[in-house]
Amino acid sequence: MWDYLIHTLSLPALIRASGVTLLLTAIAMPVATIGGLALAGMRLSRRGWLKWPAAIYIEMMRGTPLVVQIFVVYFSLPRLGEWLNTDLLTWDNFTVGVFCLAANYAAYEAEVLRAGLQAVDKGQREAALALGMSESQSQFVVVLPQAFRIVVPPLINDLIAMLKDSCLVYVIGVKELLTVAESIGRAKFIAPQMLVAAAAIYLVLSLACYALGRHLEQRLKVRGAPELHLEQPHGH
Amino acid sequence: MDTEPHPASAEASAHHAPRADSTAIIEIDDLHKRYGTKPVLNGINLRVARGEAVVILGENGSGKSTLLRCINMLESYERGRVRLRGEVVSEGRPIGHHPSRAEKAAARQLRQHLGMVFQRIHLFPHMTVLQNVMCGPVRVQGRPKSQAANIAREMLDKVGLWEKHPCDPGTLSGGQQQRVAIARALAMNPDVLLFDECTSALDPLMTREVLRVIRQLAAEGRTMLVVTHDIAFARETADRIVFMEDGRITAEGTADYILNQRPTDGLQRFLKLQS
Repeated sequence: MWDYLIHTLSLPALIRASGVTLLLTAIAMPVATIGGLALAGMRLSRRGWLKWPAAIYIEMMRGTPLVVQIFVVYFSLPRLGEWLNTDLLTWDNFTVGVFCLAANYAAYEAEVLRAGLQAVDKGQREAALALGMSESQSQFVVVLPQAFRIVVPPLINDLIAMLKDSCLVYVIGVKELLTVAESIGRAKFIAPQMLVAAAAIYLVLSLACYALGRHLEQRLKVRGAPELHLEQPHGH
Repeated sequence: MDTEPHPASAEASAHHAPRADSTAIIEIDDLHKRYGTKPVLNGINLRVARGEAVVILGENGSGKSTLLRCINMLESYERGRVRLRGEVVSEGRPIGHHPSRAEKAAARQLRQHLGMVFQRIHLFPHMTVLQNVMCGPVRVQGRPKSQAANIAREMLDKVGLWEKHPCDPGTLSGGQQQRVAIARALAMNPDVLLFDECTSALDPLMTREVLRVIRQLAAEGRTMLVVTHDIAFARETADRIVFMEDGRITAEGTADYILNQRPTDGLQRFLKLQS
């Protein structure tokens, strides 16, 4: 059994490759969340020059296949660098992969965060303003922490989705879990076994993300219950 | 649209009885506001003297809550102006006007002097009771936490809830929550307290405990503007009652004058319905 795992399925190589998968996700997801927050803020803005670019970006990224986006970035970055006469756009494949995952998921996280921000009672912002807080303080001190609590489950959902979507960077030769599993499988003529082994590792990683999510939810629950929904008399 | 005459200024009214000194702390001149095409405030003139407790009565839709929200600039308005201690703090702006940076800063400055207590309470649910009360002094006034905690302790003591300071607001009763919200407003040491139907969402027992706190604050000489439906409270607490109908002040004066002499038809109708 042990021998089969180590030698036939090349477990050490798979684990090393899953490190790459984890690293891709661990960098891209926080970047996507922060980018998504910026996009959500823009999209909720009343100013057209903020709102429309964000809306167009979100729909473009959600509406086209990630693989295509990866190819486009991979092939056009060097051209762009040449044209701008700079080395700054000469990225290794891993960086291109992280960039594409983050850019794509930022669009999804933008919508998740927008929903979260809109779910916070408008009165919270007003109460913060009435105390004398600035608009940005009211957002960062009062609204965002509450929105964050709301969006933890969908964010974890997307974290798990990204973990598995990260395998798409195989098209530009990043040696992540699926790429490695497949190449070993092909070399040893045990492709099905290797793919199942890779899938099992994805499952374990997903469960770890799930556990992380539960942990976060619990921690955020300790302080403060949701806003009381008091009966509201008729408008006046 | 009728043009019912109303006293040009509160001081002109013979029934006006300022309690402390009569220097106006808030002066509202000819304030007009519309929602779309629907007018909600049609030329409000109101002066509130230092130490005065003014109660605003009126039917739902008479514009009394909107007036409070215009005073601390949670709503903009089209015409008129608001002065705080003689200084113009806001002026009417055309609909669709985006406030400039300077105007936003002025609004922020103004709000630090006005404490608002809301009908729907709006404590911050992700903070403890203590953090809610400390929030203003720390985030807005930039006080060190130890100092803010002392202020918070004093204010929570005042509303009788210091022992709840480590709790989640969500675990408190509605009345207790509203008292914490009052403490939160008091922690900023505002010149004027604005109460916007702050007991309308509470049951009678809780209403009583909140009104007791407000009455105590009035007795201490706090300047306040109280929007309420509670006639008994108005009778006991108000130095002056202002009655609003259709976005206008149609009657104002002492509790005795407004509630017993009932100078206008609208007021008579309103009081009959409330009793």
